[in-house]
Amino acid sequence: MYTHTLTPVVAFLLQADVDPIRDEIGRLQRNFQGLIWGFVAAWVILAGYTLMLTFRERKISREMERLKSMVEESEKK
Amino acid sequence: MRQKVIVVMLALVAILLARNLYTISMLPDEMRQGQIFRIIYFHVPAAAAAMTGSAVALVASVLFLVTKKFQYDALAVAVTEVGLAFLAVNLVTGSIWAHVIWGVWWAWDPRLTSALICWILYAGYMILRQALEEPTQRATFAAVYSIFAFTDVPIVYFSIRWWRTIHPQPVFFSKEGAFPPDWSRALAVNMVAMFLLYAVLTMIRLRQEQTQREIDYLRRTVHAI
Repeated sequence: MYTHTLTPVVAFLLQADVDPIRDEIGRLQRNFQGLIWGFVAAWVILAGYTLMLTFRERKISREMERLKSMVEESEKK
Repeated sequence: MRQKVIVVMLALVAILLARNLYTISMLPDEMRQGQIFRIIYFHVPAAAAAMTGSAVALVASVLFLVTKKFQYDALAVAVTEVGLAFLAVNLVTGSIWAHVIWGVWWAWDPRLTSALICWILYAGYMILRQALEEPTQRATFAAVYSIFAFTDVPIVYFSIRWWRTIHPQPVFFSKEGAFPPDWSRALAVNMVAMFLLYAVLTMIRLRQEQTQREIDYLRRTVHAI
């Protein structure tokens, strides 16, 4: 019954609720957070792989030393 | 000597990346994408380095099949493993960019799908190597598989030209949508840094592979004694 009279009021309230500045700030924040996460992800993957290589290097060196000493001992006998 | 080269190259990579991080942060935002466009400075060099690594793996695999020299097999496995890490950087940074710009983490787009298949194929290469014990058989099977896996690389590269795609068009060697000169320069510097990092990691991995072969030889000697 009051639809006709209420329509402009509702439309006005909906417009007032949409704050373009707040929306833009939110968009920029998401944008910046995405960039930071992207850089962090890139470095975490590369640093993780480098760490993996370092651990493997240690393991291989230890194994090499162990085998060399085993060969030396066998040769002495 | 090789150790010194690795240390010098790593220092150069660190200097280039630190300097470029500052340069990238000083660039103006892209008009439509905003700050997130800067992700391209890691996304594209990582892909370029990984694709080049795939080409090196292809050449090394062919050379192994022709000459049967194990040094080519060692080179193939070293560049492939490092390439997997770089391709992972490419996929993850792309996914984060897509979430901000497209609103979804992933789309089954030709470029994205072919890149994911490429990663899976090269991961399969590493799994195949683990599964085979005998060195000659392992190297031969892996070389054939590597040649097969490389067939996906041109598909990844040309997918944005061959099919309709939502992935952005290239910013290098293109007339439309090309970067301004100062943006391209920063991208080129990061490209050099990422290629250097790729080379250093490959050298380290190659040395490990060679040491691993010595270990295998020593193990056989110990068993024989």
